[in-house]
Order: sequence, then structure tokens, then C-alpha cells
Amino acid sequence: MAALDLSLRLVPGATVPLAWRNLVADKWRLLRSSAGIAFAVLLMLVQLGFERAFFDASLAAVRQLDGDLFVMNASKYRFGARDPFAHRELGAIRAVSGVASAAPLYADWQDFFWTSPIDGKPHLVRIFAVDPDQPPVFLLSGIADQQSLLKAEGAVLVDRRSRRFLGMDGATAAKLNGQNVRVAGNFALGPDFMSDGTVITSDREFARLTPGNRGSAAALPIEAAVAKVRPGETIAAVQQRLSAALPSSLMVMTKPEIVEFERKFQAQLSSAAPIFFLGTLVGFAVGILISYQIIYTDLSDRLPQYATLKGIGYRNSYLVRSVLAQAALTGVAGYVPAWLLSLAVYRIIRSVALLPLHMTPQLTAISFALTLGMCLLAGALAIRRVIAADPAEIF
Amino acid sequence: MILRRLRVSAELAWRILIHEKGRTALALAGVFIAILLVFIELGFFVAVPQGGMLVYDHMRFDLLLTSTDYQFQAQPWQFARDRLTRAASVAGVAKATPLYFAGGSWQDPGGGVKLDVFLLGFDPAARPFAVAELENQRNMLEQPGTILVDDTTRTIFGPLQAGREIQIDGRRMTIGGAYHLGTGFLGIGVAAMDEANFFRVTGRRADAVNLGLIELAPGADSGIVAAALRQALPGDVEIFTRQTLAAQEDSYWTTRTSVGLIFGSGLIVALIVGLMVLYQTLATQIARHLPQFATLKAIGYTDGHLTAVVLVEAVIVVGVAFLPAAAAAMGVYALIRSETLLPVVLTPSHVAAVLAATLLMSVGSAFLSLGSVRRADPADVF
Repeated sequence: MAALDLSLRLVPGATVPLAWRNLVADKWRLLRSSAGIAFAVLLMLVQLGFERAFFDASLAAVRQLDGDLFVMNASKYRFGARDPFAHRELGAIRAVSGVASAAPLYADWQDFFWTSPIDGKPHLVRIFAVDPDQPPVFLLSGIADQQSLLKAEGAVLVDRRSRRFLGMDGATAAKLNGQNVRVAGNFALGPDFMSDGTVITSDREFARLTPGNRGSAAALPIEAAVAKVRPGETIAAVQQRLSAALPSSLMVMTKPEIVEFERKFQAQLSSAAPIFFLGTLVGFAVGILISYQIIYTDLSDRLPQYATLKGIGYRNSYLVRSVLAQAALTGVAGYVPAWLLSLAVYRIIRSVALLPLHMTPQLTAISFALTLGMCLLAGALAIRRVIAADPAEIF
Repeated sequence: MILRRLRVSAELAWRILIHEKGRTALALAGVFIAILLVFIELGFFVAVPQGGMLVYDHMRFDLLLTSTDYQFQAQPWQFARDRLTRAASVAGVAKATPLYFAGGSWQDPGGGVKLDVFLLGFDPAARPFAVAELENQRNMLEQPGTILVDDTTRTIFGPLQAGREIQIDGRRMTIGGAYHLGTGFLGIGVAAMDEANFFRVTGRRADAVNLGLIELAPGADSGIVAAALRQALPGDVEIFTRQTLAAQEDSYWTTRTSVGLIFGSGLIVALIVGLMVLYQTLATQIARHLPQFATLKAIGYTDGHLTAVVLVEAVIVVGVAFLPAAAAAMGVYALIRSETLLPVVLTPSHVAAVLAATLLMSVGSAFLSLGSVRRADPADVF
């Protein structure tokens, strides 16, 4: 009461001081209410973070591709499904004016098994193969700068962020499809929802290890041609020329287009979006309920004070603003610890699940907006009590 | 004596609850949403291994013969068919059926995208699947170049109506009909065909078997037969009972995939949030009645009495909120099933686990919030 009086005397007409004084009047209650809201916010942050991480993990490989234009079979429905085209098309791609270079990328998601030094069992891995004499196909450090190491026979690069049961991190030698390989270096890409680990080899090694393959590296069908455009040429113009020069069974995509292609597939065919949307929605509902309980209890306890304020002439609009300001402040009091806590939770999940779970400005903005939204909604629902408060009845 | 005291406490708790109905409704809503939250996250968590077991749940076998390199259903590796022939002669084995798996590429003859499709090959006469549409369309399966398609195969595959021609790995096949099983985690599309068609499409030989389904003779004990099989067969095969198989798939999905880890951590956060909501709700209730509790103490009630009152209050609130929460969870599960094709099913043991967890959590939060009651001093409160 004293605090409330003081704030009114000091700053007459200001609503935030009243809201602020109400908020901090009972430290224990504040702690309890911000903890309640914080956990609801944490739930939303975890769910929103998972959704983002799901797409980030799924798109990590295509985002690391180092090229202006990508040529793939038009019948590909996603980047991560094997559907290669004839090697001779590479010549046709290089012949198009404006193309500075076109490097072949070979890939397989279904036929390569890495014998884990941990359990001695073969595990399915994703494999990318490059021509070490061509410009790098991946941006990722560890691949681009160690490509020349792949020229040695039996040399492979492995993903040190692969799932641990593959034993890739720290491995020096292993077996790939039953054949001995030597780990010449490593990089950090991380698993996605289809592959537990990634191996990179030269085209020659890929040809040697491909089950049933009798052809040479020069005849291997190509999963994607990674092209760079000559300085001074626009990507769109070269894309048009390429499309015109190549058969209609091939498609030509820019970097943003290939990322969008893969994102669209994930959004359409995986359940990630509805699952995490539901999780976020539940967090929001829990948050509304918790903040409603908090605000309702607080208002009930201060009803005589609010009635007094009305009795001495304060308008409803002032009280409404004060209650909403207090609701917003409660939200902020819950949001800040939740945001900090989520950094720790993200870190744990990142290292346990090897998911690219990171706090971003966008995640911060969305979750903060949701937090304010749920607290204001709860405040608006609870406010009827103050409006109905009749000074004559309360005492 | 104790019973009488408990009855008094229960009555008191009940009166407190019905005294302020609006407040009690609010508390119930809080507990309701906490329980619902736990149900939803638990549903996702168990849906992952359930999805992994879905196809096994519709197969006829008592023991499963696999390669020792077996990882999980969609990566079973393979073993020599001869192992299965030898298994069939072991005492107690009634039937040993080979099952073949392969990945294929599905395309409309008119062109368009080439989609990954999971292929099942088996002898329809051996009836390995307990799926009505696979059994009563047996004559369809036996026709050359004919497949049956799982009806949850994604829409991107186009219409699945009988008579449509498609290409699998470049070979023309005809859809003979659909069956209702679920694709589980085998892929976004699954097609079943008889062995002859399977070998023709995939170029595989009958000798490399992916899974061996072993059915026992009536009265045979699965543990004893499993031991006999291990004795009789070389060390390159593994024998799973239904139980050990379920444990294997469960541990694969929950510990080796990020899906399991995601929903596992979701469940943990849900439990913490649930606990917070319960605590918040009960602490608010108790704080409201502190003067009354202090009065009771002044007129001679012991802390034990008041503890009982608070505990009974907590249990009543959870008990009342639980049924509607379980009912709502079923509705949400149905929604998840239709939106995500995850086979979220509420089993009695899950319901019991959630009930036990929430009761435990509410008793825990009741104890947490009791501190203020214990400290309640009649002289201070007024």
C-alpha cells in the first residue's frame, strides 16, 4: 500500500509506476509468477527452436554448396534422393557462354555403409564425391581447403559432428562398403534427419567403392553440376542460356532456388511444422493460463485499492492501462530468465542431439511477441474484475 | 482415529474447493492444461518408437531372424536364405518365411519426379502380414507386374487407384489395389509385391533375405526355441523375440535418432512446465486461505492436519482435471494422427503413467507450497 501511494504521489497520472510498484510489491510472488511464465516461454522457445533446427539441419548440406548455378535432373523431388544424369552433359554445361566452371558432385544416400570402429557394424552414411582437380563444390572449411588430400588413394574426409555411434570423430582408418579407407581430414557439417554421418571422397574413390560399379570415374553419372558464373555475367542470364542449351530432362537452379526446393520438400512431406506448431500453441495456452492466474490473483488481492482509486476519481481507462502495463511487465519478468535459460537448454540439446539449435534475433522477436501477446490477453480477460469493482461494495 | 482425521481433512479440503467456485475452476483449468501438455509430449515421444514398430505389429511371427548387423526395420541388412531353411527344421518351429526389402524409384510413365519408394517382397501364400487387404487381394499380388500400395503413401505419388500404370526402377508395373497398414518409418511411400515381381524389379536374388519370420508350433516356448535356433544356426544371424525386438527398435529410435531426442527433451520440458503450473495453482490456492489455516492452527489443528488438507485438495484437483484432460488428449492425438501420420495411440499404461506422474507432481508441489502453511502464525496473519 505504501509503495502504491508513493508512486501515485510522485508521478500522478503515470500508469507504469503503479504497475511497476504492484509488480515488485511482493518479491516472493514476483519470483513465483515470473518462474511460472518463464517455463511457459521456455516451452515455446524450445518448440520454436526445434522447428528452426529441423529445417536448418535438413538444409545444411545444400546451404554449404559453393556455386552460382546448379544443374540436376528435372525428375529430382529433393536434393537428398539419388537421381543422377549422364556425365557427358558436363561438357555441354561448360560449353555454355558465361559459365566459368562446372564441377561435378556425386552423391549417394542409400548404398554406402561405414563400419563403425565403435561397434564394428556397418551403418548407412551419406557420401559426397568431388573431382579434386576441379574448383571446390562445398563452402565448408575442412572440405574446400582439404580437397587436394583426396587425391591420395583410399583417402576420405569425414564429418566430426556425425552421430557418435559412427565413431567418425577421431577415426584415422575405417571401412567403407567393406573396403579400407584412410581418414585424411575432417569437417563439421552435422547429421540431418536422414543421414547420421557424412563422408567425402574423390570421384575415383567413389567409383571404386560404389557397389556393382565397373565403370571408371570419368563415366560416373553426376548428381549435380555446380557451376560458377564468369565475372561480369548475371546469374539469371547464364541460367537462361543453360536451360536453353540443355535437354529438358535437366533443370537449372540458382543457390536460393535449390535451398527453397529442399525447404519446400521438407515442409510438404515432413510432419515437423505441424508438430512444433502444436507444441508452441500448447506453450502459448499454458502461458495464458499461468499469466491469467497470476494477474487474477493479484487483482483480487488489490481489489480494495483499485476500488479506492476509482472512488477518488480515477477513470477505468487509467486502471485498464495500469493492469495491462503490469501484465506486460510480468511477461517481461518471465521472458528474460526464460530466454537466458533457453540458451543453456539449446546448448545441451545441441550437443546431445547434434541439432543446429541456435538463438537468433528472429526467434527472440517471435517468442517475445508471443509472450507479450499471452500476458496482454490474460490481462484483458482478468480486467473485468477491476472494471466491475464498486467502491461502495468492497468495504 | 487416523481415518477419522483423514475424513475431517477431506471434508475441509472439499469445502475450500467448493467455497470459491470461480477460483477452483481456474485451478482445475491450470491442472487440466498441465496434464494435457504432458499427454501431448508423451504422445509424440512414444509415437516415434510406435512408428518404428508399426509394420512389425502387423506381421505374423513369434521370432525374427535377422543378420547380426541388423540396425532397425528399414536397415535390416541381409542373411543367407539357407539359415531360414535350417531354422525351419528346428523343433518347435512351424514355419519360417523370408521377407525382402528394397528401395526403389517410382515415376509416372508420363515423366515427372522420381520418388523414393520402399518395396516389400514376400510370398503371399505364406501370409506374413496380418493385413486384410493384403490377404484378400492375394490373386492380385500373384499377377505379374502388379503391386499393392499402402494407402497412406503420400499424395505426391499421385492417385493410387487400381489399374494405374507406374514405373518402378524403370519397369512398368500396375497398381492392383491399396492396403491399409501405414508407412511407419519405412518411407513416404510403400509398395508390396510378391517375390517373383520383387526379384524382377529389384534384380535381387532369393538367396539374400532381409528378415526371417518364424512362427512357432502350438505350445512351443519362444525362449526355448530361440535358444535352440541360436545353437543350430551359425553366428551370423540374430534371433529376436517380439519383446527383444521391441526393445531394440525402441532404443534405436529413442537414443540414436534426433527424433527421439527431440521428443524426449520436449517431454522433460513438459514435465517441468506441468510441475510449475501445478505448484503455481496450489500455492495460489493455499496463499488465499492462509488466514483460515492460521485460524485452524490457533484452535488446535496440527500441522499434520493441515498437510492432509492440502494434499487432499491437490489430489481432488488432479483427480477432477485428469479425465477431461485424458479425453482432450485423445482428441489431440486423433488430430496428430490425421495431420502427421504419426501413429500416436493412447495405451492404458501411458494413461496410468501420466496419472501417476501428475499425482506425484501435485503431491510434490503441495509439499512445496506447504511451507507457508507451516509458518502460518495466527498472530501474524491478522
